[in-house]
Amino acid sequence: MTASDKNKKSNNNKAVDSRLIRRLYVYLEPYKWYLVGALFITLIVSFAGPLRPYLIQVAVDDYIAKDDGAGLRLIIYLYVGVLFLESLLMIATTYLTRWIGQGALFSLRNAVFNKIQSLHVQFFDRNPIGKLITRTTNDIEALSDLLSSGVVNIIGDILRIFFIMGFMFYMSWELSLVALSTLPLLFYATFVFKAKVRVAFLSVRDRIAQVNSFVQEHINGMSIVQLFGREKEEMERFREVNENHASAHIKTIFLFAIFWPTVEVLSSLAMTLVIWYGGASTLSGTLTFGILLAFIQYVRLFFLPVRDLSDKFNTLQSALASSERIFSVLDTENRVKESENPVQNPLVKGTITFENVWFRYNETEDYVLKDVSFEVPAGTTCAVVGATGAGKTTLINLVTRFYDIERGTIRLDGIDIKDYSLFDLRSAFGLVLQDNALFSGTIMDNITLGNPKIDRQKVLEAGHLVEADRFINKLPAKYDYVLQERGSSLSMGQRQLICFLRAMVYDPEILILDEATSNVDSETEELVSNAMNMLLKDRTSIIIAHRLATIQHADNILVMHKGEIRESGSHNELLGRSEGIYRKLYELQYKDQIVA
Amino acid sequence: MRELLKLNHYFYKYKGTILLGVLFLIFANGFLVWIPVLIRQTIDAIEELTEAGFATTDSVWQALTSPEAGSLLAMNSFYLILAALMYGVLLFATRQTLIVTSRRIEFDIRNEIYDKLQRLPQSYFARNNTGDIYVRATEDIVRVREYFGPAFMYMTQTIARSGIIITIMLLVNPKLTMWALLPLPFLSLFAYWVSGFIHVRSNEIQEQYANVAGRAQEAFSSIRLIKAYAREDYESDRFKNESQVYKTKKLRLDIVESLFHPLLSLMIGLSVVLVLWQGGLMVIEGIVTIGNIAEFIIHVTYLTWPVASLGYTINLIQRSAASQIRIAKMMAEADEISDSDTTNFKIDKLKGEIEFKNVSFRYPDSKEYALKNISFRIKSGESAAFVGRTGSGKTTLIQLIPRLFDPTEGEIYVDGINYKEIPLTVLRQNIGFVPQDTFLFSSTIGDNISFGIKNPTYEKIHEAAEQAQVLDNILEFEKKFDTVLGERGITLSGGQKQRTSIARALIRKPAILILDDSLSAVDTKTEDAILNHLKSEMEHRTTLTVSHRISSVINADKIFVIDDGQIVESGNHESLINKNGYYANMHKKQLLEKELADL
Repeated sequence: MTASDKNKKSNNNKAVDSRLIRRLYVYLEPYKWYLVGALFITLIVSFAGPLRPYLIQVAVDDYIAKDDGAGLRLIIYLYVGVLFLESLLMIATTYLTRWIGQGALFSLRNAVFNKIQSLHVQFFDRNPIGKLITRTTNDIEALSDLLSSGVVNIIGDILRIFFIMGFMFYMSWELSLVALSTLPLLFYATFVFKAKVRVAFLSVRDRIAQVNSFVQEHINGMSIVQLFGREKEEMERFREVNENHASAHIKTIFLFAIFWPTVEVLSSLAMTLVIWYGGASTLSGTLTFGILLAFIQYVRLFFLPVRDLSDKFNTLQSALASSERIFSVLDTENRVKESENPVQNPLVKGTITFENVWFRYNETEDYVLKDVSFEVPAGTTCAVVGATGAGKTTLINLVTRFYDIERGTIRLDGIDIKDYSLFDLRSAFGLVLQDNALFSGTIMDNITLGNPKIDRQKVLEAGHLVEADRFINKLPAKYDYVLQERGSSLSMGQRQLICFLRAMVYDPEILILDEATSNVDSETEELVSNAMNMLLKDRTSIIIAHRLATIQHADNILVMHKGEIRESGSHNELLGRSEGIYRKLYELQYKDQIVA
Repeated sequence: MRELLKLNHYFYKYKGTILLGVLFLIFANGFLVWIPVLIRQTIDAIEELTEAGFATTDSVWQALTSPEAGSLLAMNSFYLILAALMYGVLLFATRQTLIVTSRRIEFDIRNEIYDKLQRLPQSYFARNNTGDIYVRATEDIVRVREYFGPAFMYMTQTIARSGIIITIMLLVNPKLTMWALLPLPFLSLFAYWVSGFIHVRSNEIQEQYANVAGRAQEAFSSIRLIKAYAREDYESDRFKNESQVYKTKKLRLDIVESLFHPLLSLMIGLSVVLVLWQGGLMVIEGIVTIGNIAEFIIHVTYLTWPVASLGYTINLIQRSAASQIRIAKMMAEADEISDSDTTNFKIDKLKGEIEFKNVSFRYPDSKEYALKNISFRIKSGESAAFVGRTGSGKTTLIQLIPRLFDPTEGEIYVDGINYKEIPLTVLRQNIGFVPQDTFLFSSTIGDNISFGIKNPTYEKIHEAAEQAQVLDNILEFEKKFDTVLGERGITLSGGQKQRTSIARALIRKPAILILDDSLSAVDTKTEDAILNHLKSEMEHRTTLTVSHRISSVINADKIFVIDDGQIVESGNHESLINKNGYYANMHKKQLLEKELADL
């Protein structure tokens, strides 16, 4: 890389940084005037701190040296006043900036969540959930310093340095120059140290991760270690990883052991210079004791903001990296687009038509659906059967527009589903899926999903109708029983009943059901099948069937095999074909089931 | 707190270094305190010179070069620099001894705990949440280190520094000292209160943070359901609520944190102003000098951090103690089943005959028996297969053979000897175990295969990989056997993992080979090849297989059908087919499946 390239790159980075900062500012915009207020208070605080040594100078020179006890008292009152004001304002500005920061983080966090939630389902297939959670939590937290105290503190530190220098030069420019002559050394030491410590910290972080992942891995694989009699060897390996970890820390300790004493020595050196030159000046009558005293304090005060500033720039750098990741999510384009002219207030009857539908999840993969065509007339039940991976679930994903198809058309009541608004389209369907169907929260919330249009009475009636209240009423708070961990305290069948109830109270035009494969205890089984019969009545339904009873009552059965519809017809028709797929599936999956 | 005393033997181990470090720290503080004393002396000397009528009309330069004043200033400045340098060097030495030692101690504790982990029985891992065990071996150690490191150093620092400073201050003027120190106890109390409060609040915030993440997790993983019922707005609100609670809690902590620095500087400021006021009055009365005021102001600033850290340190020690209690509890657990008085150490080779006599087993903390009254005998060189539903007890049964667990009732014999009499290392050395959940370490493929043997050679690894039918896959990788697996390396497919795990067992040339559903992710053709190889070597090897696939068990000498912890059918393939029971039904279904797949 040539120098000009490097330049260009860093210019580009700066351009990116300023663009990021401008976008972040959008979230601070509502607090604009509070920010101005915080800055104003910071200005006062930055002045009040350096003012205090000045007051000491006045006290010493004008009152103590002149034996004026009453005057001393006045200046003491003033000093205490300044001290309290400074503390109060400092509290105020610290809290205010954090309050602003939390507000901005709050809206940013919600914005990221809403954006992710609104994205097409494919996005969730491609990005691991863990990563998405990191975007909504960790990455936002990393901005905390930048959006709250960050900028205001930097300005505060700069102002403080400015005021301290102002007071110093006002009192004695000569002594100021002498005192500040150590400053370049401090800057240099800080600069060298920060560069080294950054590397050392990275290595510490790395080694901590190594020790932790070694421990984690060996806890998980302890049975292997013990079975294969590898305790001694693994202990040796751990010792090595542990040694690396310790030595990385010890290296960092060394850096700090050099840095902190260096800072102390430099600040004492500055103080010594003040005493040496200042002492001589006092003797020659050009300086007072008060100024000498004030300078001793200024020298110490001065070192703090300088050190602080070098820390702050680091945090800002990492905050910008996080914000870049956040904005890349916020900029993701939604693949499933809303229609520009959706059908207004559609009255859905429920006829579903697939016409030559082709679909694959990924452009590089094989087609999951190949030229699929069928129709489910309004009010009828259509069962879909087939082996795992035949493409049954894909049908559900397409009709609800979780994914958009590649070729062909899907129609609802003869209108392309892309012409409905997503809300209207999805409101026409009621989905009962196999898993992930419950949230943590009360049973009531799980049924209504917080829809205010569904009142409690309706839920209670439905619950009574399908006799789900039989088990719900046995729970501690009945319908207000709070489910933990997605309802793991309930049986499979009970969870399923709650999902049925949900579909029932939503009363959709079309029911889509992915029956559970696992065995449900016989008592609940009966409730479940009764509930299902009620749900199916006079309703268009597509069911991925695992129960013999379901298939037998279906108006039409689609047999899917390797992405195609290979057979269709009623149970008896299909069973009649001796070499048919359905017949084999029937023997494999349904034959053992007893039909109630 | 008493728990931490148990850790003091670590201090004892490093007593030399620690003693040295403490001495360094005390001397460092001595030199530090010399600085304000020198400043006072210089100011006082200047005052005396001025009062003695030193020519005040001279320029600064003349004052610096004049014999009486110049040499005095030069001398005192030299001492100041000396004091500062000595302080710096000793501070460096303190950090290099005390803090480094705390890391050495941490190193020791980590080794000790990891060693314990290796000696804990599998029942401990079954009973406890892995996450908790992990925290013991990581975060809790970090907490305990803080007792040896910062807590110990700050404590010593506080005692040494305030001892020296307060003594000197008292020597100068007890009354002024009282005034100067007046705000400091409050500072300490305040720091104690704040750091405790911050700790509690931070934990609360951590929990709420987890709730926020949990909300996102639940929503993102149920995204289909949310979209299907068009409930995005509702979920948004729920997330917003958690987010709001988080914000509120965070702001509550922010209040305390906003108070901390301002109030710290307020109290120090009060100390300074008290010195100035009372000291000023004393100067006027002629009791103390302006030099004393300068000295006291510096003393007070030097005391700030040690006094504030006292409160912080006490909190730190409390937290360390809590972690130490948790660690101590784990260290007190009994070790893994190991050899006892009845162990016959003469046994060093096994032929591989296995017999179960009325074996029943119950997992710790469980009331139900996982195995009930199991009896069978497999001769050396025979092959046996176990089939049955998930959860029927097959895996539990075979885990008893390498003594991952001991039977609750009944006895197990290997080569006709009660297996508790066989040294554990000998027993396990003779077993090649391929577990159901393939676990490979994130090191190289070669290291993983040679995991269980002492002197691995390339030939041995190569041969085992070949036998497990994974050689071709490995050779396709750029780095072959040196390919790193896991997070930092590549991910193997399920079938490749299983075959690597088989190679790891085969390389030991064990008398007993146990395959726990280890071919489920391997295609049938490869499966055949592996089974064929195993058959050729079977004469001197007892093989036990758990499987869901008929093709894996069809050639076994003995097949056992396990249901609900009991053996319900047994025999060879033909005889079981004729019985027309569970096994026959399973066979029929698998044939149908195959037909369907071929359509």
